Amino acid sequence: MEKSVFTTEKLEFGNFIHYPDMEIPEAPGVFLTGPSGSGKSTLLRLLNGTLSPSSGSIRYQGRDLETWDTLELRREVLLVGQSVFLFDGTIEGNFREFYGYRNLPAPSRERMETFLGICSAPFPLDKDCRTMSGGERQRVYMAIFLSFGPRVLLLDEPTSALDAKNSHGVVKDILAHCAREGIAAIIVSHDNSLVEAFALHRILI
Amino acid sequence: MEDVVKLNLAQFSLIYLLLLLVLAIMKKSKINQTRLLVVASARMTVQLVLAGLLLTYIFKNPHPMFTAAYVAVMVFFSIRRVLSRNPGLNSRFKRAVALSIAFCGLSIILFFVGVVVGMDVFNPQYMIPISGMIIGNSMTGVTLGLKTFDESLVAQRPRIEALLNLGVEPKRILLPMVNNALETALLPTLNNMLGMGVISLPGMMTGQILSGTLPMTAILYQIAIMIAITTAACMTVFSSLHFGYRTLCNHRNQILA
Repeated sequence: MEKSVFTTEKLEFGNFIHYPDMEIPEAPGVFLTGPSGSGKSTLLRLLNGTLSPSSGSIRYQGRDLETWDTLELRREVLLVGQSVFLFDGTIEGNFREFYGYRNLPAPSRERMETFLGICSAPFPLDKDCRTMSGGERQRVYMAIFLSFGPRVLLLDEPTSALDAKNSHGVVKDILAHCAREGIAAIIVSHDNSLVEAFALHRILI
Repeated sequence: MEDVVKLNLAQFSLIYLLLLLVLAIMKKSKINQTRLLVVASARMTVQLVLAGLLLTYIFKNPHPMFTAAYVAVMVFFSIRRVLSRNPGLNSRFKRAVALSIAFCGLSIILFFVGVVVGMDVFNPQYMIPISGMIIGNSMTGVTLGLKTFDESLVAQRPRIEALLNLGVEPKRILLPMVNNALETALLPTLNNMLGMGVISLPGMMTGQILSGTLPMTAILYQIAIMIAITTAACMTVFSSLHFGYRTLCNHRNQILA
């Protein structure tokens, strides 16, 4: 059994979501399952500190989340949210914009292409994001986030805009990348076939 | 120069006939706002008559307290109006807006009357109309600025979330929206300056000329008040948004909106 990346105790949000106590193992493929409305997306936002619990506690790497610098935490525990956002412009331009916001130099073109490849988005770097389909945008969005090299990757419905065939390919490649790089991956998905195919661990909420 | 013709009440009431034209056009275009037209004209009449009576009294019995109270009431109502148009603001944001309107407006008014005109700042004849123009325009600017900011918070939700998740400082995420709202709020005032003298002879200047002031004097006042209005609106919107948007960020780098 791997060690836990997150543990929660008596966690509650907004007095209407009560979570069971959880130990989330540090593994490249932990799926959170449960009926809609059970607070899966909210849990991801609690884990990266963009929301605060109304009571209870979360420990990350054995340390109370409250004691982490929230910006450092979010850079290490990277959440790819459900709503895709890309700047107007090319794919390369998007890499530059996002890296600029993080005060980092843009990655090399090879590195951009590598991550686009991992996310099944092998488009030319000068492709205009405004003309892409929802599914294409979602994959480019994931590629940019993944390229930041997090320690923990949180994916919220990563395949919501993809068809079944694409879904499996993308998730397989992303999780393989996580396994190679030692990145823990926690995924929320309503797609049971993904859970069946790729879950190393399942946590029911 | 002649003094302005005093309107005789019987003649004056003829102007209300024009409203019948508005009513006719509304009826023809099926605009169901006839009630609003009647209420608005009636309210305007009553409010202005009351203001006229009050001003007559204050001018006959000038007292610093009266001037100060009149200006304070104007500031109070403009704050109330802005806040009632933006009910979603949190209480600290509201406080930032209220203080900005009061502080920025008053400092420009005092500079205008006390320094540029060189009058006693309790002189009601100068203080009251100039305060009205400056505060009124600031109020319009702030309302527009807050509305724009609020709309972009909603419209740019995905952008805010993406950058927040990436570990970007909340203030850095919100600042472009603050700047954009400021720009939007300032454009009407700036465009107004462009057309001045060509497309429009502004109200204050027209009023002064009608009452017998030399056009050159009226123009100097008009230029001064336009610059004062622009500055007051700019400062008020800037300060409202800059002190206000910080209240949306907390010590956990979360955005509460």
